[in-house]
Amino acid sequence: MNSEQQEVAQFVLAQTPFSHLEHSATDYFVKHLDVIYLTRENQTQWLQSESPKLFLIRSGLYDLVDAKGDVITRLAQGDYFGFPSLLTGEAIQNRLAVQKEGIVYMLNQDAFDYLRREYKPFEQYFVRAHANRLLSSHYKSQNNSWSERKISELMSRKAVSLSPDASIRQAAKKMKEHGVSSIMVTEYERLVGVVTDRDLRNRVLADEVDPKEAVSTIMSAKPKFIFENNRVFSALHLMLKHNIHHLPVLDEHHKALGMITSTDLLRQQKSDPVQLIGRIYKSHSVTDLKRYAAEIPGLLRSFSHNIDDISLIGKLLSGLTDALTSRLIYLFQEECGAAPTSFSFICFGSQAREEQTLHSDQDNGLLLPDDLSEQHQDYYRRMGEFVCEQLVECGIRRCPGNIMASSELCRMSISDWCEKFFAWIKSPTPEAMLNCKIFFDLRFIEGSTALYTAFCEQLTRISRNELFYAAMATDIKSNSVPIGLFNQFKLEKDAKQHKYIDLKKRGVVIINDIVRLYALKAGIRRANTQERLDALLKHSLLSDHDVYNLKDCWRFLTQLRLRTQINEEGLPSNCINPDKLSSLERHQLKEAFYLLKLAQQAAAFKFARGSL
Amino acid sequence: MVKRWLSRYFARKQLLAQNALVQRYIVIDLELTGFDPKQHEIVSIAWVLIENQCIKLSQAQHAINKDVLRLEQSPVYHGIAQQDVATGQSLAAILAKLSAHFSDAILVFHNATLDWGFLKQAFQAHNIDVQPLLIIDTFQIEKKRLHQQGQEIGLDDLTLGACRARYELPHYGCHHALTDAMATAELLLAQCHQISGGKKLKLAALL
Repeated sequence: MNSEQQEVAQFVLAQTPFSHLEHSATDYFVKHLDVIYLTRENQTQWLQSESPKLFLIRSGLYDLVDAKGDVITRLAQGDYFGFPSLLTGEAIQNRLAVQKEGIVYMLNQDAFDYLRREYKPFEQYFVRAHANRLLSSHYKSQNNSWSERKISELMSRKAVSLSPDASIRQAAKKMKEHGVSSIMVTEYERLVGVVTDRDLRNRVLADEVDPKEAVSTIMSAKPKFIFENNRVFSALHLMLKHNIHHLPVLDEHHKALGMITSTDLLRQQKSDPVQLIGRIYKSHSVTDLKRYAAEIPGLLRSFSHNIDDISLIGKLLSGLTDALTSRLIYLFQEECGAAPTSFSFICFGSQAREEQTLHSDQDNGLLLPDDLSEQHQDYYRRMGEFVCEQLVECGIRRCPGNIMASSELCRMSISDWCEKFFAWIKSPTPEAMLNCKIFFDLRFIEGSTALYTAFCEQLTRISRNELFYAAMATDIKSNSVPIGLFNQFKLEKDAKQHKYIDLKKRGVVIINDIVRLYALKAGIRRANTQERLDALLKHSLLSDHDVYNLKDCWRFLTQLRLRTQINEEGLPSNCINPDKLSSLERHQLKEAFYLLKLAQQAAAFKFARGSL
Repeated sequence: MVKRWLSRYFARKQLLAQNALVQRYIVIDLELTGFDPKQHEIVSIAWVLIENQCIKLSQAQHAINKDVLRLEQSPVYHGIAQQDVATGQSLAAILAKLSAHFSDAILVFHNATLDWGFLKQAFQAHNIDVQPLLIIDTFQIEKKRLHQQGQEIGLDDLTLGACRARYELPHYGCHHALTDAMATAELLLAQCHQISGGKKLKLAALL
């Protein structure tokens, strides 16, 4: 009597997962729906932790906002929400910001659980959607360790199996063919035994068993196994407990899916970035270092799929470069004797700001005490050359501007470094300004912190110069933010007439420049833009509101920049075509540029009043 | 007689002062063979219930009147053909089931004059005594709102589809009693939101 909810049913049937399910699933869903008109005012009434529900949007627009107030995603017709609480039983973490009210379908927990039980694809769809949202919203590197992952995520190989009546030789041949060290013996897709390399040695060769015998005579019958949705940790536990190296993986219906080996687990452990940095710090040869460095691009690729906070990638890469540099300095001293005096190995630019990408080149230098003997100077020349050369071997390119410890101009005493900075500050030519932007972002990597601190103190003293600030502010102002009078994007064109916006040059760089200027004025000795902004909160130079705005802009622009690295249009790197953005992103980008323009003008007003 | 009338008058007055957002509503739609209750018939009846501003599809009902005598040209509109009629229920049974809700739910129609006119006639013919708590008409709500905004109202401005479009509610296709009942229920929710502006809403404001 109730199967004629045609409009609702038609709509639901067009949505995944229902489009892949029997009609009965849609019928059940429709029959158990509650329909509401979701508005700003009544949303709290429906989103309650005590009675979690699955929501399916029929009309309207809603932003999903996390506990910190960040927009996770925009939801519109056909989108679901609310399922994380249904799946986990945890309290609702996110809330909705209603952009346009509309019709929303709700399903209660009982009905949701029924559909999960009855229709596997339904279950899979929401479990996967939940996992994706977890990964994309926040990468929790500390508590999301590899051992908590599911088996199915790291099981790459397909099942290699044969029937119990096959011969031992057939088993050996099949193992050779697939390059595996173990094979599953299955009957009607059900696991009945396992044969490993070791079994072939101990139970066949050593016991002189005829290879024509059936494999069932030598297999380990009723082997231990694990289900695909168990945790990696459980697999590890089983293997250690029973001293086995091969564990068959089954699905819920006990169908054999594949084998997981102790090597697979080790490989997982290896791809943890923290582990890699750890191993770099412990390595004892340049060869080892190079081998570890070769893992970085792959690691980064697998890593960047899991996070969307690009600042983590910059930090990770800079951390790896720091580790490589430190270890090279250590290995150099092992080889050529300990350093004769105190020294500081420092870095500049993007490495100092911890904004490195895979394409970043070296920006480093050596800070030495005054009045070194020629012999000592020679030692540091060799150190600089060794470190820079080996870094190139590890995949970090030479600096085209020769800002490297191997260059005399970047391997100087404190006094010489100060003189160099002072010259730029005294006569702020465009070239000097360019240098300031690179060299005033500096960070200590290895050696004597006392020497580095002494240098920073002197630097703060000589850079305290209003005219210099004014010159920097004017220089910043000359780099235009790509937004026009009526909030329209100002696009650039390349030779092929592609229209684009350079997010790095016209966005991130301007923020970095503005923040550097304020940091210098406030005497903040940090290089990372976000950390500088955090430190600026304690000063009265910028209001808290302005600081937060700049932080948001920076984060948004860098995030967007990450995506440009996969652009399909053949635009220059770091560039985007705003037409390709969603309306929400376009809106946010305009907002970011608008705020940036205000900050730029404010800086010019504050520091360059006299000279404009 | 006067006493009964008076007590009903006060009950109604009390009801009208209550919060409209927590009431139980029964939203009804009929498919008919024509527009005149005296000579045309009810083809099907559908209703959905609203509790706390939430449409409960689990309690939605749709029934075809198997006693219908002459469909004439009406299948063009509602798509119910003679062979469907055979699968229906007796009008008396449908009416009994429907009227069971009248004691605890406020009636809602889109254009009550027509549908309630037919229902009243049918209840009388089957000797079922009904006393609706209140009848609300999304058609009248919309008419009043447009008037207050000083708008000219054209012939087609108050159809269910046109009203829904004004609230950017999804477009629904064919005429089917259950679809139309759903559509009317959604319209009522949207109207309640518009009129209340997120604040309190007395039932009187929906008349």
